[in-house]
Formats: sequence, C-alpha cells, structure tokens
Amino acid sequence: MIKLIKNYWFRRIVGSLVVLLVVLILNFFLFRIMPGDPVSTIIDPHFSPQAKQHLRAQFGLDLPLYQQFYLYVKSLVTFNFGQSFLSQKPVWEELRTRIPNTVFLLGTAFMLSALLGIWLGVKAAQKRGSALEKVVLLAGSISFSFPSFFVQLVLLMIFGWAIPIFPIRGSLSVPPPSGMAALWDFLWHMTLPIFSLVLLGFGSWAIYVRNLMIKTFSEDYILLARAKGLPENKILWGHAFRASLPPIVTMFLLALPGILSGAVITETVFSLHGVGKFLLDSILGHDYPAAGAAFYLLAIITIICNLTADFAYGLVDPRIRLGRKME
Amino acid sequence: MKRILRRFSFWLLIGFILAGIWGPKCFKSSAETQVASPFSMPLWVKKDTSPTMSFALEPKREHVQFEWNWEAPPNITIWGTAKFEKETSASLILENPNGETILLAQNEGNTFLTVDVDGRDMSFKMGLGLSPFDDPMKELFPTKGRYTIKLWPPDLKIKSGAINIRIEGSRWGLLGTDQRGRDVFHLFLLGIRISLLVGISATLLATLLGVSVGLVAGYAGGLVDTVLMRIVDVLLAIPGLPILMVLAGIWGKGLWQLVVILSIFSWMGTARTIRSLTLSLRESTFVEGLRALGAKPSYIMFRHLLPESLPILLANIALGVPSAILAEAGLSFLGLSDPRIISWGRMLNEAHGFGAFTTGAWWLILPPGIGISLICLAFLDLGRTLEEMADPRLKGGANK
Repeated sequence: MIKLIKNYWFRRIVGSLVVLLVVLILNFFLFRIMPGDPVSTIIDPHFSPQAKQHLRAQFGLDLPLYQQFYLYVKSLVTFNFGQSFLSQKPVWEELRTRIPNTVFLLGTAFMLSALLGIWLGVKAAQKRGSALEKVVLLAGSISFSFPSFFVQLVLLMIFGWAIPIFPIRGSLSVPPPSGMAALWDFLWHMTLPIFSLVLLGFGSWAIYVRNLMIKTFSEDYILLARAKGLPENKILWGHAFRASLPPIVTMFLLALPGILSGAVITETVFSLHGVGKFLLDSILGHDYPAAGAAFYLLAIITIICNLTADFAYGLVDPRIRLGRKME
Repeated sequence: MKRILRRFSFWLLIGFILAGIWGPKCFKSSAETQVASPFSMPLWVKKDTSPTMSFALEPKREHVQFEWNWEAPPNITIWGTAKFEKETSASLILENPNGETILLAQNEGNTFLTVDVDGRDMSFKMGLGLSPFDDPMKELFPTKGRYTIKLWPPDLKIKSGAINIRIEGSRWGLLGTDQRGRDVFHLFLLGIRISLLVGISATLLATLLGVSVGLVAGYAGGLVDTVLMRIVDVLLAIPGLPILMVLAGIWGKGLWQLVVILSIFSWMGTARTIRSLTLSLRESTFVEGLRALGAKPSYIMFRHLLPESLPILLANIALGVPSAILAEAGLSFLGLSDPRIISWGRMLNEAHGFGAFTTGAWWLILPPGIGISLICLAFLDLGRTLEEMADPRLKGGANK
C-alpha cells in the first residue's frame, strides 16, 4: 500500500483527480451560491412552463444538494450539459462545432511559435551578442509586458484597415463559400489570428531555450565535443540541444494550458467561432449551463495537459520518477 | 536606494502616479460629458481638416470672433440660456466674412434667450430655408475668414447664464474623442488610476495571503505544509483566465470584487517562494537560538523570518503588479468590468465594440494600449532592479 502511495504515476493521477474534483465542486457551487434562489438563476423567467419543468427535471433542482451533485457529475461525465438559454439548442451541439476551430487555431499557433522560438533560441545562444540575440530579447519582453489584445488590435488595425488584406472579423465569409474555396476562406480568416499568437508567443520560447542552451554550452562534455573536433552543427543540435530537450518537452506541455487564455482573447478580438468566445458570450449573456460547460471543457483540457506534462517529465528524467526529495 | 533613483522606470512610474492623481482634476467637466463630435481626430494630425471650437456667450462677453480657415465643419451645436437685464426681443446671429448675417435663434420679448440647436435638427434646417436633406453647414460656413457670433440688438447685456457654441469639426484635443464624443485624454488619465489601484491592491492582497500561507507552511511543516502546498498545486492547475471570467461574471463587476478575485488566484507563487525561504531559514542557527530562548513561533515568523525575506518580497510585489494589471485590463477588455468605471481595458473594449477599425480611429487604441505596456514595463524593470539588490548574484544574469 505504501509502495503504491509513493509511486510517481499513482501520485500524479490522484493529484489530477483531486484537481478535477475541485473543478467539479467549483463549477457546481459557483452557479449555486449566488444570492437568491438558484432556480431563478438557472431557469430564465421568460421560459415557458413546460421548459421550466423540463429544466427542473433535467437539473433535479428539487432534490437535496448531494443528489443534485451526483446528477450534476453524471451529466458532465456523459457530456450532457443541458440546453443553452441563448440559442435553445443543447450546449454540447454548440460546443462541438466550435472545438475543431479552437483546436486548429491554438494548435497551429502553438506549434509554429514553439518551433520558431526554439530555433531562434538555439541560434541566439550560439551567437551571443549578435543582432539575433537582441531581437530575441526584445520579442521576449514584448510577450511579457504587452497585453495580447492590444497587439492584436494594432495588427487588426494595420492589416484589416490601413492595408486591408485580411478580414476584420469572423471565421468564414458570409455567405460561406463551398468546397475547396471554403478551406481557403477559412485559412484566410485564420492567418491574422495565428500570426498574432505566434508573434506574441515565440519570444518567451526563444528566451527560455536560449537560457537553457547557454547553460548547456558551459558543460564539460561540450568542451570535449569541441576538442574532438566535431562539426559545430553536430555539437549544436546533436549534443547541446539533445541535452536541453527534456525541459523543453516539459515546458511544451506545461505551456499548453496557458494558451487557453489566449483563445478567449484572440477569439474575441477577431470574432472567431470558438470555445473561448462561446464562454465569454455565455457569461455575458447569463447563459449558465453553457458557461459551466465551456469552463468545464477548458479545465479538462488543462488537467490533461498537466498530467501529460508530468508523465513526460517522469519519462525523460528518471530522477523525478524515482522518488527525489520534493524540497 | 540610489540604484532605484537612477532607473528611468522609477521616474516614469512616479510620473504616471502624479498624472493619475492630479491629471483628472485639471478638467472642469466630468469625463462623461461630450466635448466634441464622436471619433474626432487629435488636433495635431491632418491639420487641413476642420478643428472643433467651443465658445460661450457670457456676461460681459456678448459676441465672439474667430478665424475659420477650413472647409465647412460637419456639425454645430448651440445650447444654454442667457438671462437679460430687461425684457427684449433678442436674437443670436452668425456673421460670415462676406458680411452676410444668418439668424441662428431668437426669442419673443422675454427676459431670457434659450437656445437648443443641433446642426442636424430638421427645424433648424427649415428655419434656414433649407430642405431636410441639405447640409446647413455649407450655408453657415461658405468661405474662410473671420466669423462673428453675436447677440442682437448690440446694446444687449447678459446678466447671468451662458450660451454655449460648439463648432464640431473633425479634430479635437490632445487625443481626440471616442464614440460618445468623450475626451480620450481625460479617459486615459482616469485609466491610470484604475490600473494602478487594481494592480497594486490586488498584488498587496495576494502577497499578504501568499506570505501568510508560505510562512505557516514553511515553519510548521508536516501535515499543515502538505495540505497547504496541495491547495497551491490545485489552484495552479485551474485555468487562470476562464475561472477569473466566470467569477467576475457571477460575483459582480465592482472594483473591489475584481481586486479580491484577482488576488485569490495570484498568491500561489509568493507562497512557494516564501515557503522555500522559510524552510532554509528554519534550520539556521539564529532561529535555533531563538527557539532555545523560548521565542514563540509567531514571534520568530513575523519578527525574524519575515524581515529576512523582505527584499525578495518587495521584488515579488513589483514583479506581480504587471500580471495583475494585465489581468484587470484583460477582464475589462472582455467586457467583464463595471461599464461605469473607466479603465484602459474598458477603453479598448469600447474601441473594439464600436468599430474603431472601420473608422480607423487609432487614437482610441494606441493610448490605452501603450499606457498598459509602459506601466507593466516600468514595474518589471523596477522589480528586476529590486531583485538584483536583494540578491546581487543575479546581477548581469546567470547567463553571462
């Protein structure tokens, strides 16, 4: 038993389950501790009596709290989030059309900014004091202190108004074209959001990788590799970069949840059809089932990313897995 | 201390604070008043377009003269009441450089003259003998030159009250106007207050929370430490902006609610730092000595451990303010703040919502955005300086 508790994988999984439970409880109570009758906040007064009755039955609002919680957990696990107040459609239907858009936006932007940042970081570490290093440091400070929505608004202003080559809003043109044209149209609409996220994101990557690489370059085995007369490129990628890879992989996974916040802002600025904008619209429109579902979805993604990061870290760095002192 | 005084960021910050405190007091009217037509450009761009001019006919000032060297302006508004010493039939007259006079308003044998005219009013256009679809401004401002607005008859004296005249051109003030014709410079100055207030108080509250938890966890150790640190882990694993959005959306949008919400989700980093500091200090000989002298844990914590970690703490506060400011601005930008509170994020939210792009109103986007960035950069620089002072090993960075 004690062996099981000390097991790294077991502890990580239990930790994630605890976070999931906290998110569930938060999600459950947040929408119920508001002043007044929870029924009045969950059920819109403009609903017909049948709809009210239907919702009452669906949420089980006349049951005791612990039974409500059980029903609530059951509905979340089965992705049955109820009906949206705003669109009168099942929330899951609404979310399902938005998830691919958000995943495409964030996935592409994240991959591009990570690849660009890592490459620039390695190059900057190789040539200390060069113009490239200064660019990297500047890009890093931009991503740390400039609000993302401000940078995106300025980009929108430049490329949507001053030089109108990109659309100002939307994920697709109205009316949407069909066939291959639709794909091009979608990509055309996505170019500016993705570009803005890459611009905001690659700086911190580059700085992180640069610092890692600089530390690695001072190691003795790099000196040895140099003394052996290995080609500079082989030392750079084959030795120094390989050795810095584990923290980069972990950083990669740990940074994933952070970009979810970027989704909300980016989708709002560019008026995209995505989960982040859906969450904002639901909160602003007091559409609580929809807001709860969107928040739950974002939280699940975060938890999965964190867990994967822990696992990856444990895999690439045995010291972590084999019970190091936590201090 | 000298090192801080030498930093430009420190003086920039002082400038921001002073501008935030005294700036809005220099304006006579509230920031909500319309000062010019919506989306007016700043005065210092496109000088060939018409500016906005405001005058008032007051006691001892029964006529105004001005040079008009531009095309006809988009609109004119005249409003207010002037009281006279005796009952007369008074009229308000515009005299253009050609010597022609145009009647703007008149009363019928009263002791006062009340005017409420907008250049777009039907009745005003009809009064000038135009059709409702004509532009009256071409009629009022036909050429460049010296114009006069005066009361008639000329011996009329205003006893009290005022008639305000505003020729609404397309340029106004230092930073133009927004979609409601408000002064952007005034709004910008008010925004400093909110950013600094929310940023600093949220960080202070979060630091208070983080220090208490960190000290207790580090000093007590054992089960208390484990439980507190697991709470920290769980809070760190919850997605930041979404939970802030949900809380701000549900718990109301007031300033202090925002401060509390921001601090609840930003104390974890401080707690970890303080805990690790406490852990290393706990085993040091001077703490052991204190314990041997019979000092209580709370005394050791607050009189010895806390002052020891003060330099790091100060740096932590300075470095924490930018993230609080950015979070506040982000929430306001998403429309999750009180619409009556003017903040930089709110200004950007309105610029976005009212289509600053379709009109190209860059003066609505750049001032608040640059303001946020500058304040954040100043705090970051200050924090780094404080950090280096607390730990000189950091000087020049570990990477040199």
